[in-house]
Parts: sequence; structure tokens; C-alpha cells
Amino acid sequence: MILVPVTYKGGVYRLDEVIDYIEDMGGYIVQRHNIASEVVLQMLMPQDDIERLREFSRPLAGEVQASPLVGTEIVVVVPSLEIHHLPHSACDVAEYLRSHGSKSNILGMARGFGKRIAQLNDEERDLINEHDLAIYVLGNFASCIEKKFPKLRRSITVPIILTGGVSRDQLAKQTDPPVEGYVGGLGRFMHRTQTEADIHRLDLVIEEVERVISEKRAEISHDPLSVSPARIQDMIKQEIPEIEEVYSPSPIAVQLTGLRVKLAYAEYAQRIRDLVIEDGIMIGDVADVLPSRLRNYILIRIKPLSETNIVV
Amino acid sequence: MVGLDYFVVESTEDGADNYNKIATSVLQDHKLLSIVEALHIYIDPAYPLFVATGLIRPPRAAIRVSDVGNVLVQDGKATIAVGDETYLAVMLKVLWNRLGHDNVDQPDRFTVTISNVEIPTDIEDWEVTDPAESLFKDLIYAVQVIAPEGFKVRRENYGSGRFFYAASENTLPADDVDRIIAKRFVIMEGALR
Repeated sequence: MILVPVTYKGGVYRLDEVIDYIEDMGGYIVQRHNIASEVVLQMLMPQDDIERLREFSRPLAGEVQASPLVGTEIVVVVPSLEIHHLPHSACDVAEYLRSHGSKSNILGMARGFGKRIAQLNDEERDLINEHDLAIYVLGNFASCIEKKFPKLRRSITVPIILTGGVSRDQLAKQTDPPVEGYVGGLGRFMHRTQTEADIHRLDLVIEEVERVISEKRAEISHDPLSVSPARIQDMIKQEIPEIEEVYSPSPIAVQLTGLRVKLAYAEYAQRIRDLVIEDGIMIGDVADVLPSRLRNYILIRIKPLSETNIVV
Repeated sequence: MVGLDYFVVESTEDGADNYNKIATSVLQDHKLLSIVEALHIYIDPAYPLFVATGLIRPPRAAIRVSDVGNVLVQDGKATIAVGDETYLAVMLKVLWNRLGHDNVDQPDRFTVTISNVEIPTDIEDWEVTDPAESLFKDLIYAVQVIAPEGFKVRRENYGSGRFFYAASENTLPADDVDRIIAKRFVIMEGALR
């Protein structure tokens, strides 16, 4: 069963019926946002049932649309958390990703600034590699990108989308960084992205990210995961009630091939490993439950079918 | 740039347009557009080197008690009817220091009274603050924000209505920097003549 990321937008009227319908169809709600009287449900639905949900919600004036970024965790990497890069260049990109359904984090490097002196430490490298994709927001000059980017991408295994002030053609004349996507005109800036041109550049970032994520999903479908991350999220919510006491906006962040659970690793890792999915198959059998480098959280990496010979 | 009589960003590599926008936003955010008369930014990403040279307009005169509010002296008591609250806190501090905390009162938001003490005849002319004193710090801070981050080696100077700021992540080549600065001042002053 292929689960596809979609977003439902609608009112609160008969919302419980919509949620029941999604769950009956085998869908999983990854995140729910209540905005005044509107509700936005980000979910993973079986592909064949999306049209049925669309028909079901039509009389309720609900909208169902594809959102490739739902169920992904993306990191926006900036050279530092100084005023030079915050709030606009980093937060505007992160916020725009969030509005398109992704869970985004910002990583400001400890010593990512400068051209000669820029460096990436092991903690930053591991944190970036815990995500599905990284967006590097770098500076305005091609020579700076050329010199510092190789240092900042060392040992990064996740796909990288690079943004910088120079256009793609200008950058190509100087260097050809090994990245999955590049967006120009989005280097260091100090103003709020509110003009049409600014929003267009953010849209280009989303386009690049969606393309890369879709390719990654297609790649995963050749060797599917032993269990859907959304299913594990659902189980943790049901079996570990303490997750309700986590005040983080998303206590469980769903990723393409895993999850980040915002509970203490030492206390909860074994409980999660021992959760039975079905027929005696436990989470520990189909996934690695690891300590995350982000605080003391738990990182779950689901193994593919080829490794476990199990699909639940 | 609106408000500046001369504004140029010069770069040895493409990308100066973005610094144009950065400088405009930063000076606007720090309310320095009315103070800076001319600004010339020189960027050499290869070295790397960032140099900003500028001219400033004559700074605002010192703020006096009479600028904050009208002073009425009657029956050995002075009442200040506050018109502009911007420097009210600083004025109260000055009055407390010079006349004593017990003798200066603020019965309501827009009134300050002085009693139990002989009212100085020149109280209206007492200096509350001199905005020019913090101008240099504000200006250098703003240029630091415009400059790329990580350029920790820097030289800055201010005086006689001019300022310059040079920064790099490498050691600053003193002769080159002096030459660049001097040349930019000549260009700026020539353009304004």
C-alpha cells in the first residue's frame, strides 16, 4: 500500500467524520493545525483512496490537495545564528517550508561564517544527517560559495539544496557544487520576503525540494520500508501517553524513513523497541531506535524490506 | 538610496546588488538614513576585504530640558509639562542626580515637578543627552551588520564628519586599506561637490 502525502483543509463542521473516514481508509494524520475556524490536516493516505476522500469532503467544502512535503523533516542550514542571517534569510525559508507541510528546523553553525575560517563540527554534521534534506543558505558571492561550501558539506549524506545570491549561470562559471538543486537570488539579505520577486524565489526553493523529495520517495518505493513511519507515530501516540505531555509543537516528527520522537532516549527507547506492531513483530525488529544528537531525543530509522523481509 | 546624497557599492565580483539592498535595509532599520550623507562600500571577496567609507551630516544638537517639555516656575516650585517622552527617562535621571531624588517627582505621565529646593535659573538649558555621543557606536554597529560575518580583524575610525570601517578574516593589508579608503573619500567628496 503506497501512502501519499496530502493536506486536507476544511471547517470544524463534521470534522470528526472526516477524521474517522481518513483512519478507516488506512490514512494517518501526521499533524493537525487549528487556525481559527479552519482545520488543516497533514496526512499520509493510501493513493487509491484520495479521490474517495475528495468526494466525501466535497459537501463539507473541504479541500484535498497533494503536498509532497508532508511527512518530511528538513533542516535549513545557515552559517550562524547572528543578526547577519537571522531572522530573514533563515526563518523566511524555514517558515515557507513549514507552510508547505514540512517540519523544518534551523541549524546555525558554530563556526560556519567566513570564507577561510568556515568549518563544520561533528555535532552539526550528525544533526544535518538526521534530516531528510538540507537547505544551505549561503552568501552573495560565487567565490565564497566555491571556497566554503566544500567544507560545510563534508560527510553530509542527505541531499542538499543550495541557495546563494548569484544566479545559477554566474555560479556555474565559477564552480559546480555537487548539490541536488540550486536557487539563485537567495543569499544573505536583511529584509522581510514580502515582494512578489521574493516569494517567487521561495517558491523556487519549494519546487526544488519537492522534486528531490519525490525522487527520494520513488527510490524508497523500489525497496519499501518494513513499516510506514506514520504507523509508528500512531502507535506511539496510543501506547505511550507521556507523548501528550511534550509541549513541543510536533512531539513526533515524521520523516521519509523514520521518526524523531521527542522523549528521553534513556527512559523510553526500550519501551518503543518493545511495542508490538502486529503478529508479534516489534518495532525493534523492523527499525533501529537510536539516540538523536538533538537534545536527548529518540531517532527511529526504519529498515527496508530487503533487510528484514518483513512488511507490516 | 533614499536619504543619502551619495551611495555606491563597488565590488570586484558580481553580487554588489545584494549589498545595496542589505545596506539600505540596515541603515533604515537603525534609523541612520537621515544621519549618513554619503556611503561608499568596497568589497573584494577574493582577499576577502570589506571597506565602508562615509560622510555624516552635522549631528543633532544636544537635547536640553526645554526640548523635553515646557518649564513653569511658580511659588518656588517648577513644573515641567512633558511634550516629548523620548528622553523623559534620561531627563529624570539628570534631575535626580543634580537636585536629589526626594525633590523631583512625577505625579503623572506627562508632569514632572521640582520642589523643596531652590530652582536653578538655567534649568531649561540643562543638557539631558547628546545624541552625537552614541552616533559613532550606532554607525559602526550598523556597518558591522552590513559587512559579512566572520570578518573579525577590523579597523574603524570616526571624526570630523567622516568615518571608515575596514574588515577582513585575514590580516588587513595596511597600505592597501589606507589607499582604498583615501581614494573612496576623494571620489565621494568629488561627487558631492
